[in-house]
Amino acid sequence: MVQFSEAQMAKVNEIIARYPEGKQKSALLPLLHLAQDSFGGWLSAETMDYVAELLQITPIEVYEVATFYSMYNTKPVGKYLFEVCQTGPCMLNGSDNIIDYIGKTLGIKPGETTTDGLFTLKTVECLGACGYAPMMQLGKHYREHLTKEKVDAIIAECRSAAAANN
Amino acid sequence: MGRKLLLEKAHVEGIRSFEVYRREGGYRSVEKALKTMSPEEIVEEVKKSGLRGRGGAGFPAGMKWSFIAKPEGVPRHLVCNADESEPGTFKDRYLMEFIPHLLIEGLIVSSFALGSNATYIYIRGEYAWIPDILEQAIAEAKANGFLGKNILGTGFDCEIYVQRGAGAYICGEETALIESLEGKRGNPRIKPPFPAIKGVWGRPTVVNNVETLASVVPIINEGGEEYAKIGVGKSTGTKLISACGNINKPGVFEIDMTISVEEFIYSDEYCGGIANGKRLKACIPGGSSVPILPANLLLKTAKGETRYMNYESLSDGGFATGSMMGSGGFIVLDEDQCVVRNTYSLARFYRHESCGQCSPCREGTGWMEKLLYRLEKGEGKSSDIDLLWDIQRKIEGNTICPLGDAAAWPVAAAIRHFRDEFEWHVSHAAEAQTRNFGLAHYADPIHVPA
Repeated sequence: MVQFSEAQMAKVNEIIARYPEGKQKSALLPLLHLAQDSFGGWLSAETMDYVAELLQITPIEVYEVATFYSMYNTKPVGKYLFEVCQTGPCMLNGSDNIIDYIGKTLGIKPGETTTDGLFTLKTVECLGACGYAPMMQLGKHYREHLTKEKVDAIIAECRSAAAANN
Repeated sequence: MGRKLLLEKAHVEGIRSFEVYRREGGYRSVEKALKTMSPEEIVEEVKKSGLRGRGGAGFPAGMKWSFIAKPEGVPRHLVCNADESEPGTFKDRYLMEFIPHLLIEGLIVSSFALGSNATYIYIRGEYAWIPDILEQAIAEAKANGFLGKNILGTGFDCEIYVQRGAGAYICGEETALIESLEGKRGNPRIKPPFPAIKGVWGRPTVVNNVETLASVVPIINEGGEEYAKIGVGKSTGTKLISACGNINKPGVFEIDMTISVEEFIYSDEYCGGIANGKRLKACIPGGSSVPILPANLLLKTAKGETRYMNYESLSDGGFATGSMMGSGGFIVLDEDQCVVRNTYSLARFYRHESCGQCSPCREGTGWMEKLLYRLEKGEGKSSDIDLLWDIQRKIEGNTICPLGDAAAWPVAAAIRHFRDEFEWHVSHAAEAQTRNFGLAHYADPIHVPA
């Protein structure tokens, strides 16, 4: 069952308190981030309904927001989500080659997840790291100036982190 | 070397901490503004400074502030637009990451000027590590009496909150940002009413870019008139330029707006020239939305005069032969780059980011992307070029928000200046798959290596 812990509920209440009385819907984006991070990296219908209940808004108000913003995953994703930028400035610096290389190395196409559930490859539009291209987002942080060697190292890093957690 | 007003201290060790920032002269503008000036006087100083919005539109900031409605008993809000999403632009990220207290300082002074007791920083969701940095700076400022209740004993209360977006370029548009802040899809609102009258939660609201609000600090410290002496004409003060593409030294540079485009590209102090010893083909000087210019029109205006890195000079010649300062996202293309491919990539971006509210933008951006894909893949027809021109014209000016224009302009400028290259993609379809069009007649006229 989807339920925030006591500590997370304290955070939820702190976020809601940032907005005027009765405007708790404003907390929707931050709460969806928190929910996605807490409940497996994606937003299931159950999770979205739970957030709607917390904010006392209708489920459709949550669904329409969750599907509008590209950072919310409405389907399950791998443990490690590679979001590789493909927009103009990154493209000028070879992002297409990096996307191809990641795809070949992991045996998946953009939008797909490896069968072991470890990696998802996703192409994204400009992440504001144009001077440090090509780049990708991995979790909270950016990995910049990507090369094939760097990609290999990142994949190895993820694999060993996953092995250590098991 | 020009003066630095924003990033001068960005590399002082420990500048992210309140202690070091304060020791380096930080938060003086808060003391000066809150203790010795009225809100009206602050607005007046910002007007005198000539500061123009640094997010892209370049609208005079002081004038925008003076529009805010002040109905009795209705709270007002300042919202900082940190949604930086225009391809080529990464200057606000740099400022927030390396010298966060400068933004917080500017926000406190600006909140006082506008009467905002609850100020919000709306930051793009992908900059996921920056809210921690900003919240740390906010907590330190609060612990030292510069935020919270009764700031410096002046009776002014102010809280600053950080809200993350979740991946939507459109939320950089101020009314879409407001919608998003209210927990909705980022669909821009029809104006009027403008946010200054009815903004977030129906309350009077001012939305300003990060760099704009940080610039309030030197304006208050030095006075609006002193600030206006830096730069040239209506391009006062300093501007952050984020330079990227095929250059030797990509990064964020603070310039005073008197340097030439040529100096900016070739000087070691800035971009350090074109990477790998190649030649300059083209440049998008102000973020992906502004018109691309071939090298000859970039370095010199159509009249043959030197082009400078400021609002007036970059737009000299209008869209026929000029471009725009925009957000300061400076994208350089070397001789090996394909303009059709670059335009396709940007068209894909705008199709992805269209909110879908207005049909010309929703349908037009997808149509342009498909045509450009076809041309790029060597499957285009020569009538596609005219069709593209026709579609972009029908998007421009026919949408609620400027995303439509932003999607139309790159396509229009690419066809205007590089039509040969588009035609070559049709006439030499197979060859276009194996090599690029090169420099042709728009070759860099100045820096041809021996």
